[in-house]
Amino acid sequence: MKLAKLVKTLFPAQDVVEAHCDGPCGVYDPSSARIAAEAALSMTKKLLALSHPEHDDVQASIEYHNSFSRYVAIKEEQAHLAKTEVLVLWTDYFKPVHLEKYPDLHTLVWETTKLCSTVKQHVDLDAANQLMANIEKIHNIFWATKGRDIEWFVAS
Amino acid sequence: MLADPLPESNVIEMLLWILRLRRRVRVSGASMIPTLAANDEVLVNTRAYEDRLPEPGEIVVAHRPDRPQVILIKRVAAVQPDGRILLQGDNPAASTDSLDFGPVAPEYLVGKVTSRFA
Repeated sequence: MKLAKLVKTLFPAQDVVEAHCDGPCGVYDPSSARIAAEAALSMTKKLLALSHPEHDDVQASIEYHNSFSRYVAIKEEQAHLAKTEVLVLWTDYFKPVHLEKYPDLHTLVWETTKLCSTVKQHVDLDAANQLMANIEKIHNIFWATKGRDIEWFVAS
Repeated sequence: MLADPLPESNVIEMLLWILRLRRRVRVSGASMIPTLAANDEVLVNTRAYEDRLPEPGEIVVAHRPDRPQVILIKRVAAVQPDGRILLQGDNPAASTDSLDFGPVAPEYLVGKVTSRFA
């Protein structure tokens, strides 16, 4: 209606009603945890596949130590990132109503973050695979709370 | 989630507004997208809930129970058997609503949003 548009332009309503959200508004997705955990798993596999070079081959030895250090550094970083991403979902996204429906959520998150630590501390393929399995569970719960059916997938 | 669009004000709505039977308010924030965007204006019937409870799907204006000085616009998701109302934004990714502050007692309701002032 033309009159309404004119009134709105000339005299905007002074009473404001809030359609707000408290925080920096939520774009959450367990994919970020999955990508980090997957990178840590990949580094674990690469570390286990590394073979020690002959002692007298200096160049190969340098390459070996360089790769070894890089894999460890990336594994440390990505395992820690996976932990952070899971904790952000836990503290910022999940709400009491979700917990009522998924009472094991606290335990699942706790075990998942502990697995992140294990993956970080050791070169443990079982722990890295278990971490991925746990993040898949979190993925399934997360998307179920949003009423969406998002298929689990991995990049590698 | 019911997300029926909100009708634009027709002649009757405009007349009720002129007769001061509708209150005009401006929306701030993004939690009612796609139904309402920031700076949209709506008309509110402040007498709508004098003798009845809201129904699921209706858009209402209400005081936020944990911070009553804040006035919210949200959609009614459900009415509990105890008469308290669950409010939800149409844009749940960007909405602080009953998921955060719980059900809202009917005393907190200001009125029913009847049309978009446009």
